[in-house]
Amino acid sequence: MASVGKIKIRVPNTIKKGDIIPVQVLVSHPMETGMRKNKDGSVIPAYYINDVDVFYGNDKITHCDWTIAVSANPFITFYVKADKAAPIRIVYKDIKGGVYEQAVQISPQ
Amino acid sequence: MKQKDMGPALTRRTFIKSAGAACAMLFVAGSLPSLVRPATAAPNEKNINDVLKKQFGNKNVTMSHVDIKAPIIAENGAVVPITITSDLPMRSDDYVKKINVYAEGNLEPYVASIDLTPANGKAEFAMRIKMRKTSNVRVVLETSKGRLYGAAKAVKVTIGGCGG
Repeated sequence: MASVGKIKIRVPNTIKKGDIIPVQVLVSHPMETGMRKNKDGSVIPAYYINDVDVFYGNDKITHCDWTIAVSANPFITFYVKADKAAPIRIVYKDIKGGVYEQAVQISPQ
Repeated sequence: MKQKDMGPALTRRTFIKSAGAACAMLFVAGSLPSLVRPATAAPNEKNINDVLKKQFGNKNVTMSHVDIKAPIIAENGAVVPITITSDLPMRSDDYVKKINVYAEGNLEPYVASIDLTPANGKAEFAMRIKMRKTSNVRVVLETSKGRLYGAAKAVKVTIGGCGG
């Protein structure tokens, strides 16, 4: 899939300082379990994201440890206390060594 | 199904036969074989209690302060949206440190764990998980003080063309 690792992040348009804001992130990834088979009977090898880090500025605020049981094209929502102007950066790592990351700037008013 | 759709050769017997074959095809062609496998064919399925015991020892899990939002009936077991919320505080001295998610009917019940910090502001996390069959979604929260809080929610998974 050509779009593996494409990330979309959504945050509220207007953010007040101190607000607890939802951050929605979608990443394109097949999240192959290693249990499915091709039409010719060969096993499709496992290929999934197992490690997710979220940074706000320089601080790591959230970390996820994932298995094959997370749906394809993982879509997550988490919350961040917007108390400073800094980027939120999300980094995905998959078991084949792929690293995908994207950042969005948060500027609370 | 109307008679004219099926041609003149349709009798009740052939109809039932072809309908059965179509259902079987749907089963075989299901995009997630691991999810449509019948409930009995699971020799290496792990028991959730063993998994929890291995991870947390004999620590007591309080079944409160955690809420799981999940569909009562999930039409597609490959995408079951769940939202985990907790009213526990997220202060710097006492916060929800970790959310562990399990799907009891999966061959490997452990689905994911999420480490939170006070910077999250609120102990809430939403994701989409795969479920092999109708079973409970179980969540165990760990707080920074080492307490465990849990919740379980039953999700009915219907997949396959025969209402399986």
